[in-house]
Amino acid sequence: MFGYYLDLALRSLRRSKTLATMMVMALAVGIGASMTTLTVAHLLSGDPVPGHSATLYHPQLNPTMPPRLVHEPTSAMDYRSAMDLWSAHRADRQTLVASSPVKVRVEGSGEPPLPRQVLLTTSDFFPMFDVPFRYGGPWAPTDEGPHARVVVISSTLNEQLFGGANSVGRSLRLRDSDVRIVGVMAPWRPAPRFYDIWQGRYRHGNTESFYNDPEDIYTPVATGLDIFAGQVPGVPVHFCWDMGADGKSMQTAPCAWLSLWVQLSSPAKVHNYAEFLKGYAQQQKRLGRYTSDQTRLQSLMQWLEWNRVVPGTVRMQAWMAQAFLLICLVNTVGLLLTRFLRRSGEIGVRRAMGASRRAVFTQCLVEAGLIGLLGGVGGWLLTLLGLWMVRQQPVAYADLAHLDLPMFFGTFAMSLAASLLAGVLPALRASRVPIGFQLKTL
Amino acid sequence: MRTFRQIQPILAALRSHKTAVILLVLEIALTMAVLGNLVFIVYGTIQRSHVSTGVAESQIGLIQSITVIGEQSQGTTAGDLAALRNVPGVTHAAYGGPPLWYVERDPVFLDPSRQHPVAQMYEFQGSQDLSRTLGLHIVEGHDFSDDELPVLAKMSMSKDFQFPVLITRALADRLYPGGNALGRVLYDGNAASRVVGIVDHLRGEITGRPDDDYSMVYEYVVGAQNMGGGFMIRASDPARLPQVLHAAAAALQKADPAHVQNKLFTMPELRAKYFRSDLATGRMLLAIILILLVVTALGVSGLASFWVQQRRRQIGMRRALGATRGDILRYFQIENFLIVTGGVLLGALFAYALNLFLMHRFELAHLPANYLLAGAVALWLLGQLAVLGPALRAAAVPPVVATRSV
Repeated sequence: MFGYYLDLALRSLRRSKTLATMMVMALAVGIGASMTTLTVAHLLSGDPVPGHSATLYHPQLNPTMPPRLVHEPTSAMDYRSAMDLWSAHRADRQTLVASSPVKVRVEGSGEPPLPRQVLLTTSDFFPMFDVPFRYGGPWAPTDEGPHARVVVISSTLNEQLFGGANSVGRSLRLRDSDVRIVGVMAPWRPAPRFYDIWQGRYRHGNTESFYNDPEDIYTPVATGLDIFAGQVPGVPVHFCWDMGADGKSMQTAPCAWLSLWVQLSSPAKVHNYAEFLKGYAQQQKRLGRYTSDQTRLQSLMQWLEWNRVVPGTVRMQAWMAQAFLLICLVNTVGLLLTRFLRRSGEIGVRRAMGASRRAVFTQCLVEAGLIGLLGGVGGWLLTLLGLWMVRQQPVAYADLAHLDLPMFFGTFAMSLAASLLAGVLPALRASRVPIGFQLKTL
Repeated sequence: MRTFRQIQPILAALRSHKTAVILLVLEIALTMAVLGNLVFIVYGTIQRSHVSTGVAESQIGLIQSITVIGEQSQGTTAGDLAALRNVPGVTHAAYGGPPLWYVERDPVFLDPSRQHPVAQMYEFQGSQDLSRTLGLHIVEGHDFSDDELPVLAKMSMSKDFQFPVLITRALADRLYPGGNALGRVLYDGNAASRVVGIVDHLRGEITGRPDDDYSMVYEYVVGAQNMGGGFMIRASDPARLPQVLHAAAAALQKADPAHVQNKLFTMPELRAKYFRSDLATGRMLLAIILILLVVTALGVSGLASFWVQQRRRQIGMRRALGATRGDILRYFQIENFLIVTGGVLLGALFAYALNLFLMHRFELAHLPANYLLAGAVALWLLGQLAVLGPALRAAAVPPVVATRSV
């Protein structure tokens, strides 16, 4: 029976090509706009560490003091708190991060120094965040003293400076220090750059910069501080609660600038760590180093949610595109209605010859579904076009805009669902066509 | 009068097509809601991209140089600024950053206890000559005089130290409504400041929020320090700004070889970059608006042509009974006008609801009523345009149709 209805639907489409084309196009445009914006929103709100993001946690404390006391845990920590928690090794893995601009050059290359970003971190960073390596690997935990001179570089920088060759063992000049390359990463593009986002909640949706490429150079925190001579403003700070940060050492500055990340593989460990964190804050408050004993322990995805990482424009476009799809749908309902009712005579004859209402209903739905499928193909092509347009836009996430498999199937599923939904009302009306009346007019 | 007398029978006829009419009204209402808000967003973006920051944008160029602390360098910031000022075509130079470029934002308080912040303000800080390099318009009080500026090297952070500052008119009105701000003392997170002058406008960013224009400027005298960051120049001739900026960068590099010049850009370039993604989004929304209009027109004309086909006999009868072609044409035009009017009325409600949602979620401003009016006019025109084809076809139905079956 289904085959017969499909045949009927094809014939009917062929009979009124213009109307059919218009309907398919209207549906395709709606699906295209909707899926383009949904794909972008889906990619930007995705999991940056697929597989074990659920085990990654971001502990927060409130180390602020008067005169600029804030009333919630800060995004980053001061050096002492961060170091205390990191060296306690109470989690499966723990790492620190702080990003800073630096100038870098290859000694003897004659090339001018390049301004790049360096991430001060620890050796756990790489296994914790699934960073892939092309050559070499992370530095050893024993290489984290202030006099170690080791770095890991990104594949982009390796391409720029060494033409993509194995540069492990070669040296770079960071500011005025020579450092040895121990590892070269394979291309790595976490979206967003989750480990170094902050204040997203207060950015009014201006979070596009969270989707910039990750840093080009990675070095141990102690090495970084040594290279920067421990000075502010070598490393950008998130927040200072007292004056006189200039000229002071980063180690003692009343500023939050280091973020701590921990890996906790079971709920029990999460619970224990939260207790440990609370204990630490209470102890610091008793010692008079903190004013508040607030703590917060959020998982990676919670942290992204809390920072509202998906840019406001992306979310708004997604909403507007859904409204647009809704209009296209109402339009389709109207056009399907005229299409089916125009054939009232034909339907009347079928009914008179014994077709049940259900049969007429099914036949109409099959036709609607066929239009939906065709609209899906059009929508898929328009989605590809739309994503191409997004890639041409001057935005940080442009390179991410590609259709993935779930969204590819989503396009057809949505199109089919939309057209069937749109077909229900017209099909019901068509199946209620009174037999006698139609036969009389023939 | 003829037109009015037609309304009654049209309404009666529409009553027997309830589903189709409801669908059309719904489609037009939704279109109006989305259309009104999209146009509002796009127009707002375009308008925003023309709002001035209040500085002499066409004359300002910026050299961003990376920190050089800890390097062996013979350069000093004072020397760097002197070198910049000596470049032909440069009228002023200062250490500091322009608007739209990572301006620090700080809460502002009226008393030193810092319990209740009054607002968030942008803080422009930099070396001597910052306000003149930016080209600020002082409307009250006076610009910084060299003898009142604190010297960076000797800056004491004692409790009673007060920075002389300029604040914007908007911030002054916010802090001291109806009062005189000159000479008053205000507090940011770190220091106390005394207002010496009021400038007309200085926007740290252009987001469309009123607090864009809440800004404070303070200067300090730089000397033998060697600082990295932003160096601004102001060129006398906007047309030659790019050349002058490159000459200035070369002079700075010569005066202080230890600097790594990260970026070099003019204020117009910075502005273009600041609005680039917003305007790109605006263009995409514009494309959606056009497609939306086409889709709606399609729906209207599809349904209209169905009705015309369905009523061929009735039209023929009316023609045979003496109705002119014009009568038939007008029948469909009035019918369309009535349906669109229904859609527009419902659409105004939808538009308002959508606007409330967007205001809540995305800090959009309130949708002004004239957008609804413009949307209504646009949809009436669109409806008439869409119905014209089917209506003309209806008018062309010959009276003889009435005598045939179908």
